[in-house]
Amino acid sequence: MLAELINPYHFQVASFILINIILGISVYITLSTGQLSLANAGFMGIGAYTSALLTIHFDLPIVLGIIAGALVAALLGILIGIPTLRLQGVYLAIVTLGFGEVIRVVFINWESLTKGSVGISGIPHIGREILRVLKGFGFDPKVLGLQNNQFIFLSIFLLLFIITIGVIWFFRRQHRSRVGRAFAAIKLDEKAAESMGINITYYKVLAFAQGALLSGFAGALYAHVLAYISPADFAYHRAVEILIFVVFGGSEVIWGPIFGAFFLTLMPEVLRFISEYRYMIYGLIIIILMAVRPQGLIDVNILNWVKSKGRKRGQKHGTGNTKSM
Amino acid sequence: MLIEQLINGITLGSIYAIVALGFTLVFGVLGIINMAHGEIFMFGAFIGVLVTTSLQLPLWLGFLAAILITAVMGYMLERFALRPLRHKQGVSHLAPLISTIGVSILLENLSHHLFGAGNHPFRASFAEINFQIGSITIYLVQIVIFVISVILMMSLSFWLGKTKAGKALRATAENLETASLLGVDTKRIITMTVIIASAMGGIAGILVGMAFNSVTPQMGLSMGLKGLAIIILGGMGNVKGAMAGGLILGLAETFIVVYGDSGYRDAIAFLAIIVILLIRPQGLFGQKIST
Amino acid sequence: MVLEIQKVCKNFGGLSAVSDVSFSIKKGEIFGLIGPNGAGKTTMFNLITSMFPLTSGDIIFLGENIKGLKSHQITKKGICRTFQNIRLFPQMTAKENVMVGEHCRTKSGVFSSVFGTKFQRKEEAKIRTKANELLEFVGLMDYGNVAAENLAYGQQRRLEIARAMASDPQLLLLDEPAAGMNETETSDLFQLIKKIQSKGITVLLIEHDMPLVMKLCDRIAVLNFGKKIAEGTPAEIQNNPAVIEAYLGSEEDELYA
Repeated sequence: MLAELINPYHFQVASFILINIILGISVYITLSTGQLSLANAGFMGIGAYTSALLTIHFDLPIVLGIIAGALVAALLGILIGIPTLRLQGVYLAIVTLGFGEVIRVVFINWESLTKGSVGISGIPHIGREILRVLKGFGFDPKVLGLQNNQFIFLSIFLLLFIITIGVIWFFRRQHRSRVGRAFAAIKLDEKAAESMGINITYYKVLAFAQGALLSGFAGALYAHVLAYISPADFAYHRAVEILIFVVFGGSEVIWGPIFGAFFLTLMPEVLRFISEYRYMIYGLIIIILMAVRPQGLIDVNILNWVKSKGRKRGQKHGTGNTKSM
Repeated sequence: MLIEQLINGITLGSIYAIVALGFTLVFGVLGIINMAHGEIFMFGAFIGVLVTTSLQLPLWLGFLAAILITAVMGYMLERFALRPLRHKQGVSHLAPLISTIGVSILLENLSHHLFGAGNHPFRASFAEINFQIGSITIYLVQIVIFVISVILMMSLSFWLGKTKAGKALRATAENLETASLLGVDTKRIITMTVIIASAMGGIAGILVGMAFNSVTPQMGLSMGLKGLAIIILGGMGNVKGAMAGGLILGLAETFIVVYGDSGYRDAIAFLAIIVILLIRPQGLFGQKIST
Repeated sequence: MVLEIQKVCKNFGGLSAVSDVSFSIKKGEIFGLIGPNGAGKTTMFNLITSMFPLTSGDIIFLGENIKGLKSHQITKKGICRTFQNIRLFPQMTAKENVMVGEHCRTKSGVFSSVFGTKFQRKEEAKIRTKANELLEFVGLMDYGNVAAENLAYGQQRRLEIARAMASDPQLLLLDEPAAGMNETETSDLFQLIKKIQSKGITVLLIEHDMPLVMKLCDRIAVLNFGKKIAEGTPAEIQNNPAVIEAYLGSEEDELYA
């Protein structure tokens, strides 16, 4: 009976939604200090290629590969983040764009390492790995009434779901803390924040590195879910796609990119004709939103409205009736 | 051989210079980077292809059509993507940039649907004509491109320096409020600037088609990023810098293809962006940017 | 001496904004910095808090030369300021603004914050308590949850002071705190600054409201065109011909604000 519910394709889409949510959050985090990074597609690629190559050539377990991918991306994020600190908004966006392109060109040209435009296939697949391990303990999906591949897709989804929940939890907690307040202060008025004793260098690099870490992490997950990657997966289009999750969904609260990733990953699946004109629609969305609602769809007011419907009156949470969620 | 490469580099560089001028004009007057500039350039190239190759009309008509259409595109960009942002309160400085990113992907995808992906051949009727000077071959196309570029740059410099409208533009670029107080119709100047910049992009597009005999929709993104590299190299908002930067990049790319690893050619521009912004953010000719 | 300004100069391109200025502030004083508009007073503040570097000279705070330190380091050393044109964090609540002010006296980082260690929870509680105390100190305790941008002008000025005090400064720099205030508000401000002084905090004050300055300040330095033209007690300053000349020479209403 369970078998009828598990449509592998649906679960694959759901898995991509989750990966996109993590990517959306990666841009959101850096943006929460007022920095727009267009390099996250590049960091995603770094995480993906690092993990893919380590697991293929050195037989590293997938988990370690993913961790390595995320860490390498984070390291690169710090290396890029420090010198670019002095750059104001637009210049930083351009440098990160340039950096993303450099990474892509390197992926394409360093053929001995990355196999160039052909890409890398045969990357160890998380789902199959999970199945293999469980079967080692004597488990058989037929016990649940499922085919192997149904089980694989289901388990990938569940794993990603847990991971995504973890990521969301992590950054919500960070937001409501001293670190979150520092980020918000830097975004609102960097010089004033510095005058109040906040080491803006440290926090801006931190936000940048966290963004790189998350996108690298998402990239590594992507590699082991799809089992095939190529430079085209991490090009300018990807960077724009991630950007639009945040621009559309909401750039001021973490629910923004969550909603944006969810909606914009789902829509092309549900409405086929959209898929073909996808980027034109993305472009229009960006233009219209910037003109009429630059903070994106979900902002603090909407969240407060939702909360006032759902919660008892007088119950305080976080830091109160604020716009800095 | 070296001389021929030099000529190639200069030809390419002068096209780059024109693209960069478009960027620099908009940045100077509006203070924003128009990420859609590359796509407008690409549209110019495709209009040229349509007119000359598909419709078999003379080249100068191609130029005319490209200028007209890209000018209109520039107008629409200003009207719908940029102007609404100018009068809003508390809009982050990133909003115009993001908006132009939106325009760029809209245009890129639109061109895919209109023109199809892949190479489109571009044949100027005189593409084969060349001159021999000793052992050096110079193509008429290269000369035409260079001449058109120089004329364009000189007219722009003259217009900016000597005409009333040009001075109004420079005043607006210097300080919007003051210019407005002095009676300059800044709204018209802004619109005009974007239109001129876009038309220049369109002209450059056709020149590229002439230089390489083909155009692809991917040109837009690539040129957009290179244009950025150039104005950063030369100094944002600096006309001389754009011209010098364009030339430098054209030469650098040509020589790297010949003497280095051609696959990394595109990376030159991007690396240049990064390095320049880190070491000397104001570029070669720019004023110190206050942080 | 809490603060010693020694032969400080600041040039912007060819323009000399501050030229060979020296003065010293004693512990517990309220020291006034006055002068016509454009005299270099706010520039002086910016130099002390390192918003931009000195051209030459030294600034000694509590015996230590703070020239070349970054802004946030200077705040940590014990100097904090308010701004002439109010730079609160607009969308944050009043309370959050003050909590941000406490940043350099607190420690919790990413991991202790996310995983809610005992230390972090205690620290958060202390941060909130202190913020409430400071809001009460400046008379804004009922406005803790109001967004800073929604506060009335006078309230915003007081909030900025609360935020600056949150970093436990030894030296508080107030840049025109009475600007735009009516008589009642100004007299409340007077009481507030006196209260601050009674806590042992030294105050350096830029102000144009002369009656307030003369009542409040223990000593005053006068700047004009970037140079110090007088220094002394309020009585001495009021009778100083150079000072009178500076004010009457530029804008008459300055002196009678």
